[in-house]
Amino acid sequence: MSEPLILGIETSCDETGIGIVRGTTLLADEVASSVDEHARFGGVVPEIASRAHLEAMVPTIERACKTANIKLDDVEAIAVTSGPGLAGALLVGVAAAKSLAVALGKPIYGVNHLAAHVCVDQLEHGPLDEPSVAMLVSGGHSSLLLVPDITEDVIQLGQTIDDAAGEAFDKIARVLGLPFPGGPYIDKAAQTGNPNAIDFPRGLTSPKDMAKHRFDVSFSGLKTAVARWIETEQRSGNAVMVNDVAASFQEAVVDVLLRKAIDACLSNDVGTLVIGGGVAANSRLRSEAAQRCQEHNISLRIPRPGLCTDNGAMVAALGSELVKRGRDASQLSFATDSSMNITNVVA
Amino acid sequence: MQAFGKQIGALLIADDVVVLSGPLGAGKTTFVKGLAEQLDVQGVVTSPTFVVSRVHKPQGSGLALVHVDAYRLSSQSDLVDLDLDATKNAAYVIEWGKDFVSGFTDNWLEIEIDRAEELNDDTDPASGDRSISVTAVGDRWSDLDLAGLFA
Repeated sequence: MSEPLILGIETSCDETGIGIVRGTTLLADEVASSVDEHARFGGVVPEIASRAHLEAMVPTIERACKTANIKLDDVEAIAVTSGPGLAGALLVGVAAAKSLAVALGKPIYGVNHLAAHVCVDQLEHGPLDEPSVAMLVSGGHSSLLLVPDITEDVIQLGQTIDDAAGEAFDKIARVLGLPFPGGPYIDKAAQTGNPNAIDFPRGLTSPKDMAKHRFDVSFSGLKTAVARWIETEQRSGNAVMVNDVAASFQEAVVDVLLRKAIDACLSNDVGTLVIGGGVAANSRLRSEAAQRCQEHNISLRIPRPGLCTDNGAMVAALGSELVKRGRDASQLSFATDSSMNITNVVA
Repeated sequence: MQAFGKQIGALLIADDVVVLSGPLGAGKTTFVKGLAEQLDVQGVVTSPTFVVSRVHKPQGSGLALVHVDAYRLSSQSDLVDLDLDATKNAAYVIEWGKDFVSGFTDNWLEIEIDRAEELNDDTDPASGDRSISVTAVGDRWSDLDLAGLFA
């Protein structure tokens, strides 16, 4: 039997992503981003995102079909992100997916964005080990998941109790006068900075916090500490060493994320850690994760940066796995869910 | 800050609006956590910066909480575009909403939080005193005992 050909649509935030996969083989991954338009606001503006998705949808689908060298009618099923994400942005993708499903007479799968971020790694590193521990870190999410079955059984171990990791990068970049989105600029500035210059706090790692929030993360204390440190330097008339602040801040984030992720693997007796989401493109997170996983004999899987950020290929990858394992498609009447819980892999 | 949030939460009825301002790390999210605890709503209160607005449904039959971060909105019409009033029987907290709120309602409580320069505890960057100012706007708050809030 040939492997299923799946079209995936992702519009949960500012990227209009269309992916086409056959089984675990990536055929096309086209992304149209409205990030330039958002940059001048220092963040994603929902109304702009929805309108940009609407304009980009049809040309991006056409481009993906051309790259994959397929006709739309060849696909076996349509997969689309139904949540979590920005309500208006999700609506555009789901409406497009439903129209295609009806017009082509194909089944449709409304899928969870976070599960798709985990599943995308199959396109690069082959079938996922189950169970795995997955850490998703992006501008909107910071979650630690236990994944016994990516198509129907995903358990949330922890999440951020205030800011998402990528959001902390954006906010600190703003304080340091670096552009949006902050992650890549902090990563770059940090390369010539000293990560041990300033000992910024590691949130939720004290014994007292660990009792209640063992696998949760918090970045608000760190954010306050960095803001205070900069203000104090400025008041004393010192020049702020942007590179050192960036490196020390990044070190604190990376250290906390990996401590929690490794602890989750060890305490659940799981030998594989998958890292996904936009922050997984961070060079320090990647190198430090490799080292710590090796120390603890954990196999580490991080997709290449282009597959870590939001894209349609990840949605298609999860759709493909759902079809392969014979999971039920969604009812055509399914709705978007901006705060979709990870316990629902399919709408 | 959490206790103060609870105190304000206890005052709220449907359609009330609280506008919240303060620099990075002032304790705005912590304030909203307290307010949400008092209203007894579902879900974990986290920063709404990324999603701009987040709705917390009531646990029981009480008020819902609509938590908005207007930092990235550029005009009053952006705030209207969010369809905030689609949630019925809700109270609203709008961070950074000072410049836009008058397009949304005639009555609101404006709360400004500021960090003191000195830390109380060197090991905890969130320590240190906060100054809070509360301004009541509109008829809805004409009977509010402002001084009583700080008694």
